[in-house]
Amino acid sequence: MDKLASMLHMTPAIFWMVAKVVIVFSAIMLLASVWTWVERRGSAMIQDRIGPNRAAIFGKIRLIGLSQLLADGIKFFFKEDLVPDDANKGLFWLAPFLAFVPALIGFAVIPFGKSFVSGGVTYHLSVLDPGNGMGLLYPMAIGGMAVYGVLLAAWSSNNKWSILGGMRASAAMVSYEIGMSLAVVSIFMTTGGYDPADVIKAQGHLPWAWNIVRQPLGFIVFFTCMYAETNRLPFDFAEGESEIVAGFNTEYGSMKFSLLALAEYSHLMTASALVATLFFGGWQVPFVQNPTVMLSVASFLLKMLFFAWVFVWVRWTLPRFRYDQLMHLGWKVMLPMSMVNLVFHAWRMSQGH
Amino acid sequence: MFITFALITLLGALGMLLQKNVIMAGLCMVAAFFGVAGLFVLLANPVAAALQIIVYTGAILVLVLFVIMMLNSHEEEKAQAPHPIQRWASVVFVSALAFGAVKLVLGSSGVKSLAASGEAMPQAMTLQKLGFALFADHLLGFEVAGLLLLAAMIGAVALTKRNL
Repeated sequence: MDKLASMLHMTPAIFWMVAKVVIVFSAIMLLASVWTWVERRGSAMIQDRIGPNRAAIFGKIRLIGLSQLLADGIKFFFKEDLVPDDANKGLFWLAPFLAFVPALIGFAVIPFGKSFVSGGVTYHLSVLDPGNGMGLLYPMAIGGMAVYGVLLAAWSSNNKWSILGGMRASAAMVSYEIGMSLAVVSIFMTTGGYDPADVIKAQGHLPWAWNIVRQPLGFIVFFTCMYAETNRLPFDFAEGESEIVAGFNTEYGSMKFSLLALAEYSHLMTASALVATLFFGGWQVPFVQNPTVMLSVASFLLKMLFFAWVFVWVRWTLPRFRYDQLMHLGWKVMLPMSMVNLVFHAWRMSQGH
Repeated sequence: MFITFALITLLGALGMLLQKNVIMAGLCMVAAFFGVAGLFVLLANPVAAALQIIVYTGAILVLVLFVIMMLNSHEEEKAQAPHPIQRWASVVFVSALAFGAVKLVLGSSGVKSLAASGEAMPQAMTLQKLGFALFADHLLGFEVAGLLLLAAMIGAVALTKRNL
């Protein structure tokens, strides 16, 4: 690694940083685009259909429908890039980026593998090293920024249905943020730290010591709120074909639409990674005290992709909620539940457990 | 780095004042908040930076924009007929405020600790320290603020929902 760095005229530290940024963000973008395929094949499987399997490279290589991804990408690039006459042009351009960038950079603080020592230097497998002082506040802050993408996409299209969709989605996101934050706070309390590395270390390698067993209520609240935060069914109020056409992205086409869709899936990846880190031991391998680095990365990826699959699974299992049901669930069920969780753990800690 | 964040903050604030479109003004304010968050990080206080973004940009400003979008959609605000006396009064008032603020900042103990180096340098802020500051050092003020906010919330609900 040092040799490669010196060939590129960089110090090893900077080289490692650049390598991490490139690897992590390209991996998330790749996974996000692959997940559009998983979503379509998964929905087909659940609904007893076949799903996309016709696209083929040179008419031959089908790859169980994976070449559909390539076809979609090419199609998005060559579509006409329409901007409505009455749209606020600048914001209409900016909104997809405002949706995509927070979804991508929220991942930066999550460790995706065990830190290792090589040549006397410790290398951490997360873009922001542990001890940066932001810890798990960072993905929450960035997650809060995701609202702007939806809100601005909706407002700048200057379309009634879009604005309605954007309003509903932003209201849902803001209300569910409170319950989610309280669930995370009770994890901070029992861990005694707020750095994701601390949270993972505190959970250990035994599955019954993970936070899912210690705080099942917190897990339920957090996971439910993640559906509202990522705008996925059953809480995807930005859209709603039967009520408000396609919602906030009605006026979007071509690559801009593609960016909005990719933002949704990158957000899903970040959310699953957060669930795996907070409640399922992050990169810890069950029953293995000192896993190798590769094994820890594989374990983390497995957990993350499992939750990403659960997001798809739930989408095609549950119907969309009604708006008042969503607000009812958010304020009158999730918020009290996470408060009970918080007070219960505070009480247990005061009793010296 | 400082110049970058300071410029983002100042340009955002200026843009907020000069924009006629309310939504654009709100977005300029988001930029200004981001600049302030960056400045907090430079001051070795990443917790304040994260809380700044979570609370101000992630929640308060979203709600403000939400209400603005709900009330009027795309009309730009018409300029009122200017009153010269208002302008002069505001200039006097703002310069007095700015003078007071600068004097307060320069006179505070925080400025002296900026010159410290080596061992005397203060450690970076963590969430634990923030907790101690809120719940041990300033417990009374914290609780009073909480009570005030609760009262404000109940007042808002009582005003909007007259027939509960």
